[in-house]
Amino acid sequence: MAGEWQPDFEQLVDEHQSMVFSLALRMTGDRGLAEEIAQDVFLELDRHLGKIESPLHALFWLRRVAMSRSADALRRRRVRGVDLWVEMGENHGVQAEERSSPLGTRLELLLAALPEPQRAALVLRYQEDLTPEEIAAMLGTPLATVKSHLQRGLKLLRAKAESRLKEYIRGA
Amino acid sequence: MEDFERELRQALERRPAPPSLKRKLMERRSRQRAERWRGHVLLWQRLAAGAVLAAVLAGAVVWRHAEQRRMGEAAREQVFTALRITGHALDQMRAQLEAHDQDAQE
Repeated sequence: MAGEWQPDFEQLVDEHQSMVFSLALRMTGDRGLAEEIAQDVFLELDRHLGKIESPLHALFWLRRVAMSRSADALRRRRVRGVDLWVEMGENHGVQAEERSSPLGTRLELLLAALPEPQRAALVLRYQEDLTPEEIAAMLGTPLATVKSHLQRGLKLLRAKAESRLKEYIRGA
Repeated sequence: MEDFERELRQALERRPAPPSLKRKLMERRSRQRAERWRGHVLLWQRLAAGAVLAAVLAGAVVWRHAEQRRMGEAAREQVFTALRITGHALDQMRAQLEAHDQDAQE
Protein backbone atom coordinates (compact mmCIF):
# COMPACT_ATOMS: atom_id res chain seq x y z
CA MET A 1 0.00 0.00 0.00
CA ALA A 2 1.18 3.54 -0.77
CA GLY A 3 0.34 4.65 2.77
CA GLU A 4 2.95 2.26 4.18
CA TRP A 5 5.81 3.86 2.24
CA GLN A 6 8.11 5.71 4.61
CA PRO A 7 10.11 8.44 2.90
CA ASP A 8 13.80 8.47 3.75
CA PHE A 9 15.15 11.98 3.24
CA GLU A 10 18.77 11.02 2.64
CA GLN A 11 17.78 8.30 0.22
CA LEU A 12 15.59 10.76 -1.71
CA VAL A 13 18.52 13.18 -1.86
CA ASP A 14 20.84 10.45 -3.15
CA GLU A 15 18.34 9.35 -5.77
CA HIS A 16 17.19 12.71 -7.06
CA GLN A 17 19.93 15.28 -6.47
CA SER A 18 21.28 15.07 -10.00
CA MET A 19 17.76 15.44 -11.45
CA VAL A 20 16.95 18.49 -9.31
CA PHE A 21 20.37 20.05 -9.88
CA SER A 22 20.20 19.48 -13.65
CA LEU A 23 16.72 21.01 -13.93
CA ALA A 24 17.83 24.08 -11.98
CA LEU A 25 21.08 24.33 -13.94
CA ARG A 26 19.34 24.17 -17.30
CA MET A 27 16.70 26.65 -16.27
CA THR A 28 19.06 29.18 -14.67
CA GLY A 29 22.37 28.46 -16.41
CA ASP A 30 24.29 29.12 -13.21
CA ARG A 31 25.92 26.26 -11.32
CA GLY A 32 26.11 28.12 -8.02
CA LEU A 33 22.52 29.23 -8.22
CA ALA A 34 21.44 25.76 -9.34
CA GLU A 35 23.13 24.22 -6.31
CA GLU A 36 21.43 26.72 -4.04
CA ILE A 37 18.04 26.03 -5.65
CA ALA A 38 18.59 22.27 -5.32
CA GLN A 39 19.33 22.71 -1.60
CA ASP A 40 16.22 24.88 -1.16
CA VAL A 41 14.08 22.31 -2.96
CA PHE A 42 15.29 19.47 -0.76
CA LEU A 43 14.88 21.54 2.40
CA GLU A 44 11.31 22.25 1.35
CA LEU A 45 10.85 18.53 0.73
CA ASP A 46 12.10 17.91 4.26
CA ARG A 47 9.38 20.21 5.62
CA HIS A 48 6.70 18.47 3.52
CA LEU A 49 8.00 14.94 3.93
CA GLY A 50 4.90 13.84 5.84
CA LYS A 51 2.70 14.64 2.87
CA ILE A 52 4.71 12.63 0.36
CA GLU A 53 2.83 9.42 -0.33
CA SER A 54 5.02 7.42 -2.69
CA PRO A 55 8.33 7.45 -4.58
CA LEU A 56 6.47 8.64 -7.70
CA HIS A 57 4.83 11.40 -5.72
CA ALA A 58 8.27 12.45 -4.44
CA LEU A 59 9.64 12.51 -8.00
CA PHE A 60 6.69 14.56 -9.30
CA TRP A 61 6.91 16.93 -6.31
CA LEU A 62 10.66 17.45 -6.70
CA ARG A 63 10.39 18.18 -10.42
CA ARG A 64 7.53 20.62 -9.94
CA VAL A 65 9.18 22.49 -7.06
CA ALA A 66 12.56 22.55 -8.84
CA MET A 67 10.93 24.15 -11.90
CA SER A 68 8.99 26.57 -9.76
CA ARG A 69 12.02 27.63 -7.69
CA SER A 70 14.09 28.02 -10.86
CA ALA A 71 11.40 30.26 -12.37
CA ASP A 72 11.40 32.32 -9.17
CA ALA A 73 15.19 32.67 -9.35
CA LEU A 74 15.01 33.77 -12.98
CA ARG A 75 12.33 36.32 -12.09
CA ARG A 76 14.48 37.72 -9.29
CA ARG A 77 17.45 37.82 -11.65
CA ARG A 78 15.42 39.69 -14.29
CA VAL A 79 14.45 42.22 -11.66
CA ARG A 80 18.14 42.69 -10.89
CA GLY A 81 18.85 43.03 -14.62
CA VAL A 82 21.44 40.27 -14.92
CA ASP A 83 22.16 39.16 -18.48
CA LEU A 84 21.45 35.43 -18.57
CA TRP A 85 23.14 34.87 -21.91
CA VAL A 86 26.45 36.31 -20.73
CA GLU A 87 26.29 34.31 -17.48
CA MET A 88 25.41 31.13 -19.33
CA GLY A 89 28.48 31.51 -21.49
CA GLU A 90 30.69 32.14 -18.49
CA ASN A 91 29.32 29.41 -16.27
CA HIS A 92 28.98 26.73 -18.90
CA GLY A 93 32.44 27.42 -20.22
CA VAL A 94 33.84 26.01 -17.02
CA GLN A 95 31.92 22.82 -17.57
CA ALA A 96 32.96 22.29 -21.15
CA GLU A 97 35.50 19.64 -20.24
CA GLU A 98 32.81 17.58 -18.51
CA ARG A 99 30.95 17.11 -21.77
CA SER A 100 31.85 14.40 -24.19
CA SER A 101 30.16 16.16 -27.11
CA PRO A 102 31.03 19.73 -28.08
CA LEU A 103 27.73 19.87 -29.94
CA GLY A 104 25.94 18.99 -26.73
CA THR A 105 27.63 21.88 -24.93
CA ARG A 106 26.66 24.30 -27.67
CA LEU A 107 23.10 23.01 -27.80
CA GLU A 108 22.82 23.67 -24.08
CA LEU A 109 24.04 27.21 -24.61
CA LEU A 110 21.53 27.76 -27.37
CA LEU A 111 18.80 26.25 -25.25
CA ALA A 112 19.58 28.80 -22.55
CA ALA A 113 18.77 31.58 -24.97
CA LEU A 114 15.24 30.31 -25.60
CA PRO A 115 12.26 31.97 -23.92
CA GLU A 116 11.70 30.49 -20.46
CA PRO A 117 8.41 28.62 -21.15
CA GLN A 118 9.90 26.94 -24.23
CA ARG A 119 13.09 26.10 -22.38
CA ALA A 120 11.09 24.60 -19.49
CA ALA A 121 9.05 22.44 -21.87
CA LEU A 122 12.13 21.24 -23.76
CA VAL A 123 14.10 20.48 -20.60
CA LEU A 124 11.25 18.43 -19.16
CA ARG A 125 10.72 16.69 -22.50
CA TYR A 126 14.33 15.86 -23.36
CA GLN A 127 16.05 15.72 -19.98
CA GLU A 128 13.28 14.10 -17.99
CA ASP A 129 11.68 12.27 -20.92
CA LEU A 130 8.19 13.41 -19.93
CA THR A 131 5.23 13.33 -22.30
CA PRO A 132 3.51 16.61 -23.19
CA GLU A 133 0.59 15.51 -20.97
CA GLU A 134 2.92 14.99 -18.00
CA ILE A 135 4.60 18.34 -18.64
CA ALA A 136 1.20 20.05 -18.76
CA ALA A 137 0.21 18.43 -15.46
CA MET A 138 3.53 19.40 -13.87
CA LEU A 139 3.56 23.02 -14.97
CA GLY A 140 -0.19 23.50 -14.57
CA THR A 141 -0.38 24.64 -18.19
CA PRO A 142 -2.92 23.60 -20.85
CA LEU A 143 -1.74 20.72 -23.01
CA ALA A 144 -2.10 22.75 -26.22
CA THR A 145 0.18 25.42 -24.76
CA VAL A 146 2.81 22.85 -23.84
CA LYS A 147 2.68 21.33 -27.33
CA SER A 148 3.02 24.77 -28.81
CA HIS A 149 6.02 25.57 -26.56
CA LEU A 150 7.65 22.29 -27.56
CA GLN A 151 7.12 22.84 -31.28
CA ARG A 152 8.19 26.48 -31.26
CA GLY A 153 11.10 25.78 -28.95
CA LEU A 154 12.39 22.95 -31.12
CA LYS A 155 11.95 25.02 -34.27
CA LEU A 156 13.76 28.00 -32.76
CA LEU A 157 16.53 25.84 -31.33
CA ARG A 158 16.99 24.07 -34.66
CA ALA A 159 17.12 27.39 -36.49
CA LYS A 160 19.73 28.71 -34.05
CA ALA A 161 21.69 25.49 -34.29
CA GLU A 162 21.65 25.55 -38.09
CA SER A 163 22.91 29.11 -38.21
CA ARG A 164 25.54 28.80 -35.47
CA LEU A 165 26.55 25.16 -35.37
CA LYS A 166 26.78 24.27 -39.05
CA GLU A 167 29.97 22.36 -38.57
CA TYR A 168 28.34 20.09 -35.98
CA ILE A 169 24.95 19.40 -37.54
CA ARG A 170 24.97 16.23 -39.50
CA GLY A 171 24.33 16.78 -43.14
CA ALA A 172 24.44 20.53 -42.83
CA MET B 1 14.20 16.08 -36.86
CA GLU B 2 14.86 12.71 -35.23
CA ASP B 3 18.64 13.20 -35.38
CA PHE B 4 18.34 16.66 -33.92
CA GLU B 5 16.06 15.45 -31.14
CA ARG B 6 18.48 12.62 -30.40
CA GLU B 7 21.34 15.11 -30.14
CA LEU B 8 19.23 17.29 -27.91
CA ARG B 9 18.34 14.35 -25.68
CA GLN B 10 22.02 13.48 -25.36
CA ALA B 11 22.94 17.10 -24.68
CA LEU B 12 20.31 17.23 -21.96
CA GLU B 13 21.36 14.16 -20.04
CA ARG B 14 21.25 14.75 -16.33
CA ARG B 15 24.41 16.28 -14.92
CA PRO B 16 25.84 14.81 -11.73
CA ALA B 17 25.21 17.06 -8.77
CA PRO B 18 28.29 18.68 -7.20
CA PRO B 19 29.80 16.34 -4.58
CA SER B 20 29.43 19.07 -1.97
CA LEU B 21 25.68 19.48 -2.52
CA LYS B 22 24.56 16.74 -0.15
CA ARG B 23 27.01 17.75 2.58
CA LYS B 24 25.96 21.42 2.43
CA LEU B 25 22.31 20.38 2.29
CA MET B 26 22.60 18.18 5.38
CA GLU B 27 24.43 20.98 7.25
CA ARG B 28 21.69 23.48 6.35
CA ARG B 29 19.07 20.93 7.35
CA SER B 30 20.71 20.43 10.75
CA ARG B 31 20.92 24.20 11.26
CA GLN B 32 17.29 24.70 10.26
CA ARG B 33 16.15 21.87 12.53
CA ALA B 34 18.10 23.38 15.43
CA GLU B 35 16.57 26.80 14.70
CA ARG B 36 13.09 25.27 14.45
CA TRP B 37 13.69 23.45 17.76
CA ARG B 38 14.81 26.71 19.39
CA GLY B 39 11.75 28.38 17.90
CA HIS B 40 9.49 25.67 19.36
CA VAL B 41 11.16 25.96 22.76
CA LEU B 42 10.77 29.74 22.68
CA LEU B 43 7.14 29.40 21.63
CA TRP B 44 6.41 26.95 24.48
CA GLN B 45 8.24 29.20 26.94
CA ARG B 46 6.10 32.14 25.84
CA LEU B 47 2.95 30.04 26.01
CA ALA B 48 3.90 28.83 29.51
CA ALA B 49 4.69 32.38 30.64
CA GLY B 50 1.37 33.53 29.17
CA ALA B 51 -0.49 30.71 30.94
CA VAL B 52 1.17 31.60 34.28
CA LEU B 53 0.35 35.27 33.81
CA ALA B 54 -3.25 34.42 32.91
CA ALA B 55 -3.51 32.16 35.97
CA VAL B 56 -2.12 34.91 38.23
CA LEU B 57 -4.54 37.46 36.78
CA ALA B 58 -7.47 35.06 37.08
CA GLY B 59 -6.42 34.28 40.67
CA ALA B 60 -6.24 37.97 41.47
CA VAL B 61 -9.70 38.56 40.01
CA VAL B 62 -11.17 35.62 41.93
CA TRP B 63 -9.43 36.73 45.15
CA ARG B 64 -10.68 40.31 44.70
CA HIS B 65 -14.19 39.06 44.06
CA ALA B 66 -14.06 36.82 47.16
CA GLU B 67 -12.59 39.66 49.22
CA GLN B 68 -15.35 42.05 48.13
CA ARG B 69 -17.92 39.41 48.96
CA ARG B 70 -16.35 38.83 52.37
CA MET B 71 -16.32 42.56 53.08
CA GLY B 72 -19.95 42.81 51.98
CA GLU B 73 -20.86 39.96 54.32
CA ALA B 74 -19.01 41.67 57.18
CA ALA B 75 -20.79 44.97 56.49
CA ARG B 76 -24.12 43.17 56.37
CA GLU B 77 -23.31 41.50 59.70
CA GLN B 78 -22.40 44.91 61.18
CA VAL B 79 -25.67 46.40 59.94
CA PHE B 80 -27.63 43.50 61.45
CA THR B 81 -25.73 43.88 64.74
CA ALA B 82 -26.45 47.61 64.75
CA LEU B 83 -30.12 46.92 64.01
CA ARG B 84 -30.23 44.32 66.78
CA ILE B 85 -28.64 46.80 69.21
CA THR B 86 -31.03 49.54 68.11
CA GLY B 87 -34.00 47.16 68.43
CA HIS B 88 -32.85 46.11 71.86
CA ALA B 89 -32.42 49.78 72.92
CA LEU B 90 -35.87 50.63 71.56
CA ASP B 91 -37.38 47.65 73.42
CA GLN B 92 -35.77 48.87 76.65
CA MET B 93 -36.99 52.38 76.04
CA ARG B 94 -40.50 51.13 75.27
CA ALA B 95 -40.44 49.04 78.50
CA GLN B 96 -39.31 52.07 80.50
CA LEU B 97 -42.02 54.23 78.92
CA GLU B 98 -44.66 51.60 79.72
CA ALA B 99 -43.40 51.40 83.27
CA HIS B 100 -43.51 55.18 83.52
CA ASP B 101 -47.07 55.27 82.14
CA GLN B 102 -48.21 52.65 84.69
CA ASP B 103 -46.62 54.68 87.50
CA ALA B 104 -48.40 57.79 86.24
CA GLN B 105 -51.80 56.05 86.14
CA GLU B 106 -51.38 54.67 89.67
